Amino acid sequence: MPNTVSWYDRLRVEWVVWSLDQRLYDLPSRTRIAHRREVRANLLTAAAEVGVGEALRRVGSARELAAQYRDAEFGEGPRHSWLAAALFALTTPLVLNFFLSEAANAYEQALTATGTHADGNYTWGGVTWLQSPLTFSLHQGQATHVGGAYTPLTYVLLVGGAIACGRLWRALPRRRSPRPTPSANGLAG
Amino acid sequence: MTSSHDPQLLKGVLSLLLLHLLAEQESYGYEVAQRLQAAGFADVLEGTVYPALARLEREGRLATRLVASSSGPARKYYRLTEAGYEALAAGAAGWSRHVAGVDAVLSRPLSAAPQKGS
Repeated sequence: MPNTVSWYDRLRVEWVVWSLDQRLYDLPSRTRIAHRREVRANLLTAAAEVGVGEALRRVGSARELAAQYRDAEFGEGPRHSWLAAALFALTTPLVLNFFLSEAANAYEQALTATGTHADGNYTWGGVTWLQSPLTFSLHQGQATHVGGAYTPLTYVLLVGGAIACGRLWRALPRRRSPRPTPSANGLAG
Repeated sequence: MTSSHDPQLLKGVLSLLLLHLLAEQESYGYEVAQRLQAAGFADVLEGTVYPALARLEREGRLATRLVASSSGPARKYYRLTEAGYEALAAGAAGWSRHVAGVDAVLSRPLSAAPQKGS
């Protein structure tokens, strides 16, 4: 019996389509858009026939559907993750900056805590290997500082960490699993 | 045909079933799933069929075209390519050999049923 697809039903369908789309971020945009449109069209057809609840149940969770679409595109097995790499590359500097800043503040407070107001410049080597030396200028009890930039090693570690987190070597074309050629052996769903 | 199938067995033949259904008649994703369910595979959900169709399309066994629908968005219809027909023929032959091999083993008479507790 045909069902009327209400606006609320459409919203539920759109939510699943959006959830699926978010999980297909590493597919080529053309493929991703095609999958999104196809799933939406099929879900609306199914919703009109069996109701939106049953239609959504039969299509399964967006997570599993996206995983199967990614398997269909890239093949089964471990893959790289641009999302994990980006997450590492964005969050690690934030955390690192926080701790380096706290270390610099601790040194600065040590200078001003004596209360002697001995004006002058003081140099601290910074966190070994990770940052350049910091120079603190103390003037009438107020301290300012310059320096403390990342060393080249820090940048290397950030890039290396992002590559390791995202397993980005798997994105290299020569490392990707070859696409199966049309044959009887490649018919497994 | 029962409504429940071994998922592993089904996974191995799903592409073959889809190729055959689409060789019979050009269809869109939901329609293929419905036809599969009508054929007795009621436990094959749409969420399994759509990615399988995408895989076959990527492998060059299916071609697609968009057809406007009066009841909603345009539908993506699938049909077999030449490579798809070749894969279907090869897959069907392979399946026949597989069934014949399994039947040959299963049809052998058993000497005696195992006794309980022995």
